[in-house]
Amino acid sequence: MTVDALITDTASRLLAEVCTHSTIQQAEAQGEAPEIWQAFAETGFPWISLPEEAGGSGGTLLDALEVLRLVGYYAAPIPAAETGVLAGWLLASAGLELPGGIATVAPGSTSDTIQISDSGHVSGTAHMVPWGRSAERLVLLGEGVVVSVPATAAIISQASSLAGEPRDTMTFHGVQADVASAPDGVDAEALRFRGALSRVALMAGAIDKMSRLTVSYTNEREQFGRPVSRFQAVQQHLVWASQDAALTRMAAESAGRQANRGDARFEIASAKLVANQAATRATKACHQAHGAMGMTQEYELHHSSRRLWTWRSEYGGVREWSSWVGQAAAAQGADGLYPLITAGSAAV
Amino acid sequence: MRFTPTELTTDELALQTEVRAFLADELPPGSHEPGLGMSARHDKPFSKKMAERGWVGMALPKEWGGSDKKAVDRFIVVEEMLRWGAPVGYHWVADRQTGNIINKFGTDEQRERFLPPICRGELGFSIGMSEPDSGSDLASVSTRAERDDGGWIVNGTKIWTSNAHTNDWFICLLRTTPLEDGSNKREGLSQVLIDLHNTDGLELSPIPFLNGEHHFNEVSFTDVFVPDENVVGQAGMGWNQNTTEMAYERGGPDRWLSPFSTVEQLLREIQRGEMAGTALHDRVTELFGELTARWWAMRNLSLSVSRLIDAGEAPSIESSLVKEMGTRFEIEVIEKLVELVDQELTLESESLFQRLLAQCVLTGPGNTIRGGTIEILRSVAAKGLQGLPA
Ligand SMILES: Cc1cc2nc3c(=O)[nH]c(=O)nc-3n(C[C@H](O)[C@H](O)[C@H](O)COP(=O)(O)OP(=O)(O)OC[C@H]3O[C@@H](n4cnc5c(N)ncnc54)[C@H](O)[C@@H]3O)c2cc1C
Repeated sequence: MTVDALITDTASRLLAEVCTHSTIQQAEAQGEAPEIWQAFAETGFPWISLPEEAGGSGGTLLDALEVLRLVGYYAAPIPAAETGVLAGWLLASAGLELPGGIATVAPGSTSDTIQISDSGHVSGTAHMVPWGRSAERLVLLGEGVVVSVPATAAIISQASSLAGEPRDTMTFHGVQADVASAPDGVDAEALRFRGALSRVALMAGAIDKMSRLTVSYTNEREQFGRPVSRFQAVQQHLVWASQDAALTRMAAESAGRQANRGDARFEIASAKLVANQAATRATKACHQAHGAMGMTQEYELHHSSRRLWTWRSEYGGVREWSSWVGQAAAAQGADGLYPLITAGSAAV
Repeated sequence: MRFTPTELTTDELALQTEVRAFLADELPPGSHEPGLGMSARHDKPFSKKMAERGWVGMALPKEWGGSDKKAVDRFIVVEEMLRWGAPVGYHWVADRQTGNIINKFGTDEQRERFLPPICRGELGFSIGMSEPDSGSDLASVSTRAERDDGGWIVNGTKIWTSNAHTNDWFICLLRTTPLEDGSNKREGLSQVLIDLHNTDGLELSPIPFLNGEHHFNEVSFTDVFVPDENVVGQAGMGWNQNTTEMAYERGGPDRWLSPFSTVEQLLREIQRGEMAGTALHDRVTELFGELTARWWAMRNLSLSVSRLIDAGEAPSIESSLVKEMGTRFEIEVIEKLVELVDQELTLESESLFQRLLAQCVLTGPGNTIRGGTIEILRSVAAKGLQGLPA
């Protein structure tokens, strides 16, 4: 199972054109990027992997993850993961209507107070909702149900991620929602894993971009009469960052391939854990190799690094996933430890 | 640079099952003292048993006793052996690199002479690269060979030669054309095959390892005669051949599995309740999680390098990146285990885990040095990343 090369080509070309340093900067200042979203949505990219009968664009989860990898690579300031593989997936699985515009999900914070009445009225607050302010629908999981509530009916308190992307608090007072029962396998745990998978794909792109940027910057920047990339201490940063880029992309793609086949909980948990740690190391190395330039708004490194600092904590940080994988390892026992590493979820 | 994810085919999975069954049969857990990856014990009968299955020199042509298998097949056999801590020491170097080099650059006469015994697990090789004054700067080797009737007269000293006392032959990099002012150090080097135990003028002496073990040797040559038929490939082209040889030794499971048997044993002892003071509390579980996830991702990278080799590519940047990262990871694993158990270690401990960890601590620093230091690997990889010649 491979990704259609056409998807990679078209998405790269489009994103490279619309996500420039200044448009990303502008999106942050405005708190949204309608033009970028428009261009992206026109191609049907947000709805890849959702069935055409349900109003999606068809294609596989692998295709969708490849698009997310590129969204991460180009630091596209848009709710690509939310609209498609998260909210869109919930809606399509429950047979609810896909909106024509942005859909987002409540990632499920411990302080959320959302209640759904028997008559399908939503009350309470959801936190850290990506692009809540721009969304048409907010999708929530209740007890055995998927809930689609008009996002415009929420009282919004704006907040943003470390990357300056919207992460809003949304409060509802008895708003009528569409409610449908959630099929088997569509629950909070599944959303957690799928959210983690989406973040891993984004992170794979961002680390790759950041490490390439660092190779080219250090080739151009001269000190002591030569490019700083000639210094071994700097080369160490380049090598370590590109290893983390390779490791994260491998983890993301391996997990994606398994998710496309079936149960991929081991792979997703491992991939998110590896990616979270790689993001920490690689942002450190790339910033160090850039010197002061990397600390400015004017230079583009922060588009990648701040997104990585955001995504590494979303849908599970290092402790959550190391504890999950550790329990899986312990459950296999010593004799099963290596078979778990080679066969993954199939061994569980 | 591109690492493409890959899964094992049905045939490859069948091989994995076969290797696991072989190991469970030959070396059931508890019946043997596992080794630390490729530093495992030399055990000639074990090497022969593996060879009988076709698992030594398996990527070599059938014509010369091999099995015509792929790099991925060898990967599968090797990872299982290493994670089990199986005693693969005797055939290790011959299987990983020397056989390939003789097959790739040698004459038919040399193939016929050396490859079948390698594939039978009866011929162990050592590596004669380093010298007292030439470590990282390998092209500066000064062991010299002077022309003589039908061969060469060799003088000089090789050092750090692992297991020269237990192996049979070694492949040695030496200078066949003297260096002159302004000449390129990388030219005029040759690779020759030398019998370690039946050669007049060759002297072998141990250099005790820091823990007293006999691993390293010094091999000195006084007017040693090497016949032409023992020169591998073209005289003077040794550097390029040697670079090819190093590519075989990079990026495989031996560069990230050394402490695996130790970690596995820790889990075993904890679950049996044998680890005083260490239960599966949160910190231990999280550590198992971290290591398992990293091994999973690292293995996928390393496996993808083998696939690239099978596709006829020469993934040299990829394999240096994997080796540099893998060996650093090995050291990180050891450090984390030491922090976790917080106990005095001894090689005489009743706990196998503690014996293994003690051995890891004592030998670990060599992991990021052997076969080219991580500093040198970084230079190689960084040049590759920048598109510069190595
Ligand atoms: C366990 C073990 C087994 C070995 N087995 C064998 C064997 O069987 N056969 C064999 O031939 N050799 C063997 N070696 C030797 C090994 O190949 C050398 O140790 C290695 O190539 C480094 O050389 P050196 O020890 O002389 O270190 P040096 O080259 O003296 O290096 C010392 C330090 O300086 C650094 N350094 C040197 N040059 C540079 C540079 N250009 N840029 C940045 N840093 C630099 C090194 O990375 C290192 O940190 C073995 C070594 C070990 C530890």
